[in-house]
Amino acid sequence: MNKSTMAALLMLSLGWVSASAQQAPQHHHDHSHHVTMEAASVNQSDSIYHLDGLWQTHRGETIELSQLQGSPVVISMIYGNCATACPVLVNDARRIYSALPPEYQQHVKLVMVSFDNDRDTPAALADYVERYQLNESAWTFLHGNDTDIRTLATVLGIRYRLRDDGNFDHSNLITVLDKHGRIVERIEGLNRPVEPTVAVLKKMIDAGHAHAH
Amino acid sequence: MKKWLGVMAWVVAAQAAAEPVTIPAGPYQPIVVLDETVAELAMPAFKLDATPVTFAQYLDFVTKHEKWRKDKIAAIFHDGHYLANWPAALTIPEGYEKKAVTQVSWFAARAYCAAQGGRLPTLNEWEYASLVYRQQQGLSDQAYAQRLFGWHSNPTAYSLQDMELNHSQLAYMHDRVNEWVDDFQLLITAGDETDILSGSCGDSARFLTDTGEASYATFFRYQSRSNYRPQSTTGTLGFRCAYDME
Repeated sequence: MNKSTMAALLMLSLGWVSASAQQAPQHHHDHSHHVTMEAASVNQSDSIYHLDGLWQTHRGETIELSQLQGSPVVISMIYGNCATACPVLVNDARRIYSALPPEYQQHVKLVMVSFDNDRDTPAALADYVERYQLNESAWTFLHGNDTDIRTLATVLGIRYRLRDDGNFDHSNLITVLDKHGRIVERIEGLNRPVEPTVAVLKKMIDAGHAHAH
Repeated sequence: MKKWLGVMAWVVAAQAAAEPVTIPAGPYQPIVVLDETVAELAMPAFKLDATPVTFAQYLDFVTKHEKWRKDKIAAIFHDGHYLANWPAALTIPEGYEKKAVTQVSWFAARAYCAAQGGRLPTLNEWEYASLVYRQQQGLSDQAYAQRLFGWHSNPTAYSLQDMELNHSQLAYMHDRVNEWVDDFQLLITAGDETDILSGSCGDSARFLTDTGEASYATFFRYQSRSNYRPQSTTGTLGFRCAYDME
């Protein structure tokens, strides 16, 4: 095969791939320690609670994800050693929670799952909770094994990669699950307005109460 | 008597899984650099199946693990075409025993490997094993490139060829199916916020460490991989499992 045929084939391949590539990258502002990864798209009609696997909470309990069923969940993935995007993601979840009227807050769970199986032990996550004063019962920080972490991230459409320097490149994504574990809202990026998410949560909680009474 | 023949057939199918091959530790220079500052990786030793997983082997798995039968699998784990060519939940197409299983999503491939005490290889492990295989086979860059371009010209025909299963070395790395890797979604460069797929041809070519024909051929495989979603179940995508050293 000569070079020009190969080049033509290569361009063909690139054209084919880029035509079906998911989205153009968004350029978030620069972080010195890691790079933001574009979130992959996911099927929104299914429950993530089909996933197997046991997780340890920062309170030392062992749970399956399906135990989160029954109320809306605000879920994201972070790692404790992350000094840039992760505290912002945690704070974004807190902003969503704080913007809810108090009578709605008790119906929402905030779940932060660590990428970092090595360092983010349940005890390390408990320290994190202390440091950032996330003691409300709404918060759950989860430690899992590498396989389950990768599966969950894939289902949520969060891409991540451990770098040689111990930091993770990852998508900045907050996902809202309904009480069945189906994805109803995805907020990509940092420090976004919380109002749309708050509205979605209130609507789901109101609907839940309408059914209950 | 008929019952015993059935049992014997099962034993034969189960025996088909040969011992995994040890891939020795060594230096590895990826042709697509994910991390600008790291040109060479020190790969630890690991084990890899000698051949892709076959239909017969996969049938054995779904027989034992009901949630992965085509009539039981949760919608979240596939794109609607999971095992689409199987006539029934526990029946593979006739004559497919020794073909590489396809129409299997990333989730299903991982579950299969976990059930064997293994896992999917990482992208780097698979590509490193591919280099080891080329050395073992004495495959020149040109022969390798021709083989890959041949595959890409008609992947379905290659995917449907039978395999010999009693290999003590790696086999069918480039001439049966594309294969799932655990971290197939990682094709992004660090420090440059440019997804390899979102860039133009010029952008992508920058990440090739050399422009020889073997690297171009390998690059095709990267491009194919990046096009998959974890729910994808195509007829040209299969897998083999990796295992940590004891």
